[in-house]
Amino acid sequence: MADRAIKLLVIGESGVGKSSLIRRFVENKFDENHDVTIGMDFKSKVMNVDGIDYKVALWDTAGAERFRSLTPSFYRKALGAILVYDITNRDSLVKLEAWLAELDSYSDNPNIAIIVVGNKIDQERLVDREEGRKFARKHRALFIETSAKCDQFVSDVFKDVVEKIVSSEYFNNGNGSAGLDIASDRDLEESASTCYC
Amino acid sequence: MNTMDELLNEVVPQEDLERFEKKYNHELELDGEVTTETKFEYSFCLVRSRYTNDIRKGIMILEELARTHPDGRRDYIYYLAFGNARIKEYTSGLKYCRAFLDIESNDQVRSLESEFQEYIKKQSDKEVAKGMAVAGGAALVLGGILGLGIAMAKNKQKREKK
Repeated sequence: MADRAIKLLVIGESGVGKSSLIRRFVENKFDENHDVTIGMDFKSKVMNVDGIDYKVALWDTAGAERFRSLTPSFYRKALGAILVYDITNRDSLVKLEAWLAELDSYSDNPNIAIIVVGNKIDQERLVDREEGRKFARKHRALFIETSAKCDQFVSDVFKDVVEKIVSSEYFNNGNGSAGLDIASDRDLEESASTCYC
Repeated sequence: MNTMDELLNEVVPQEDLERFEKKYNHELELDGEVTTETKFEYSFCLVRSRYTNDIRKGIMILEELARTHPDGRRDYIYYLAFGNARIKEYTSGLKYCRAFLDIESNDQVRSLESEFQEYIKKQSDKEVAKGMAVAGGAALVLGGILGLGIAMAKNKQKREKK
């Protein structure tokens, strides 16, 4: 069987919860005292979309400044990028602009699927949902808000971006896209921003 | 699925290695010394090279950085462990992991640590197996000599009967 591998990149400022999202998704764990990621980390998970298994490789990048010049080589061959900000920190959304520019110049895939993720909805919000949504729309990216801590909408992040990738032209090797039902426009407007965990 | 393998098998793109090597040499020639930042960038590329000599050079630079620049020590120690893993120096790699974990609990380092432990265990298992093979071989040789001796004795008996 052909190895259907999908490389996803997770980028964004330090401390927004990139590793926590991955850890929640892959291991269903959360650690309040998160470790600051050193350089790069890697985790993988098999995801099934419409009866087909995909091996999703998740490359977690350090948000720390000193790795900024060093991580772009990991952007190569990524089919999707997950851009994370923290809804309690406006600057982390503003900085996504720079991360997108970085992605633009180093990614070798002009059709890279992008999802913007506002994390930490379990905490008091400082960035309106609409601001994040606008930013995502401006860059033709998907958008979602999550809580890695309370496990809210975390798996949707990965599901949405992988579904977008497998339905797009560049992942159509031999397999017609007929029958693929993209549910990424599903509205999560009603999502509660409080949780009791 | 071993996630550590994926990280350890990743190889630095040649142009990255060359770019940071150039930057390193340029600073060295121009100022006679290299900034911490450049040293780190260069060593980060070196330890991800496919060549052992590059990795060893990266380890040397990182060792120096770990001594002289305490602020970045956790990064240096992690990549020292990482570099040692890539040249299969498991015992020294394990030492760096332990040193790190003494200071800070960290998932990345923990998975590197268990990688080292697994390899060291595998290696010692192999040596035990090798030892048994040697012992087994000796028994065969010994058995052969004994067998030969018995056969000779029998032959002698046969001849004497004639």
